[in-house]
Amino acid sequence: MRTLGIDLGSREVKVVMMEDNQIVEKFKVSTLSFYKDYCNFEGKIVVDESKLDLERATVKVSTGYGRNNTDLKSFEAINEIKAHVYGAIYQTGLKNFILLDVGGQDVKVMKVEKGLITDLELNDKCAASCGRYLENMANLLEISLAEMAKHYQNPVELNSTCAVFSESELIGQIAEGVEMERLCAGVNYSMYKRLQPLLTKFKGRKLVLSGGVAHNQALQEYLKRDYNELLLLEDPQLNGAIGCCYYGRRVVDS
Amino acid sequence: MKKIGITTTVPIEVLLAAGYQVIDLNNIFVTAEDYNEYIDLAERDGFPKSSCAWIKGIYGVCLKEEIKEIVGVVEGDCSNTRALLEVLKLKGVKVYPFTYPNSHQLKDVRESIDNFSRLFGVSREAVEKVRKQLNEIRNSVKRLDELTYLENKVTGFENHLYQVNSSDFNGNVNEFKEVLETLLAEVKERKSITKKLRLGFIGVPPMTADIYEYVENFDASFVYNEVQREFAFPRAIKYDNIYQQYYDYTYVYDLAFRLRYIKREVELRELDGLIHYTQAFCYREIEDIVIKEKLDIPILNINGDKLNRLDSRTKLRIEAFLDMLGDLKEGRL
Repeated sequence: MRTLGIDLGSREVKVVMMEDNQIVEKFKVSTLSFYKDYCNFEGKIVVDESKLDLERATVKVSTGYGRNNTDLKSFEAINEIKAHVYGAIYQTGLKNFILLDVGGQDVKVMKVEKGLITDLELNDKCAASCGRYLENMANLLEISLAEMAKHYQNPVELNSTCAVFSESELIGQIAEGVEMERLCAGVNYSMYKRLQPLLTKFKGRKLVLSGGVAHNQALQEYLKRDYNELLLLEDPQLNGAIGCCYYGRRVVDS
Repeated sequence: MKKIGITTTVPIEVLLAAGYQVIDLNNIFVTAEDYNEYIDLAERDGFPKSSCAWIKGIYGVCLKEEIKEIVGVVEGDCSNTRALLEVLKLKGVKVYPFTYPNSHQLKDVRESIDNFSRLFGVSREAVEKVRKQLNEIRNSVKRLDELTYLENKVTGFENHLYQVNSSDFNGNVNEFKEVLETLLAEVKERKSITKKLRLGFIGVPPMTADIYEYVENFDASFVYNEVQREFAFPRAIKYDNIYQQYYDYTYVYDLAFRLRYIKREVELRELDGLIHYTQAFCYREIEDIVIKEKLDIPILNINGDKLNRLDSRTKLRIEAFLDMLGDLKEGRL
């Protein structure tokens, strides 16, 4: 039996197909292209599965930001908090953990105890602690995101709490001749510092990291200092879509 | 009739035998429309911002409503209560001490209740006579509780309200009895309320009583109110003396004893999950560590401070928890 999970993110749409609880297909498309090239609108958004080159699925579950955007015809829409928790449970097999999801335009922190959400904190509508901030800063430094993410030692200090003002602060540092490694580390460290106030309420031993920013090695290094164990998911960006599939399968089984 | 204030449940039988009208100061505080004024009054007199809202509320009620005599629980309750009693003494309030012995030995409970009775000059017989009258009401409250979890005809809020009010019988035993009997008659005619999720509320009664209605939005209802039920002494009827009644009371003794009863009710009432309410700055927040470890059931710990309504963050947490609890019940997790 096949289950299809779609996570409609702010930057990319993540698609995962599972068969008998195993991932058989996974890919991402840009959000714009997803709505433009793969969907029709017939009162509700209809996903054209043939264009996505997918076989028919028995159960289809969607998640993402905002109920209207994710309400796809013939899909069951679940909230993204739950989708991410289900994804992390599937990917780690854990029942007690803190899940930090840093996406393109929002951050979520969830506490999971005995397999259920017991606490959560959301931060959205601000780019300063999200993936978009890293993208902008990498553009400014004219290097790739992956290259920037490697540097964590001796970070230059960036004080600003705002993503826009941080740019001018960074330019100031460039003008003072600070080395590239320290500038990169500074960007990564400032991101970590913005996540910290959200995380202080979530003390625990195990932290699971998901979302696109989970690939950032520097952030991983900083977070390792605060938790006994930092778990990285094999597919951090696809976690929400995986959660959808897992949930869909459980619905059928139940 | 002379009025006497209580800060928590105490052997009310003794006070009624002594001819007092008993007022649970917590109930006055939390049901007042301008409950915040009681807290403000306490904070103006020096109670820290970072201290229990209940303590500040009790203090405010005592002063504003000119309560001249109170019973203070000096053992079995928190150290904040002890400090509160010291301040009230300073303000000229007469404080009668009562002790729930930490030893939790029947002989010590006996000694404590005997001392308490002597303080008010009442005989054991007089106390037992009152106890017999109250047991009739306690039996009715127990019936109301059964109608909640066995027949699902009583709402979680009603269950909470009548049990929590059993600490002072609303200051008027006969009136309370009448109101209760009317409700019981009305309830019997009701249809069953069947909700998907059966919840238990453990911990001190909440500042935020809107939680009872709020969970109903998610196909859930409370069919167990732990501490409120203890206030109502559902097991009093089976004992032939007051000592055993106050020995077999969980809230003021050790956690292990309390957990035994919670476990029993979790099974009996077929609960799906628990909400553990704790008051901000209370030592019982620390006990949550043990409670979560010892009870094999999903538990959400929520925290209240001064506000008498759930804040949006707590609402979101409850919603997410109940959403997944529903999945768990239906085998989706």
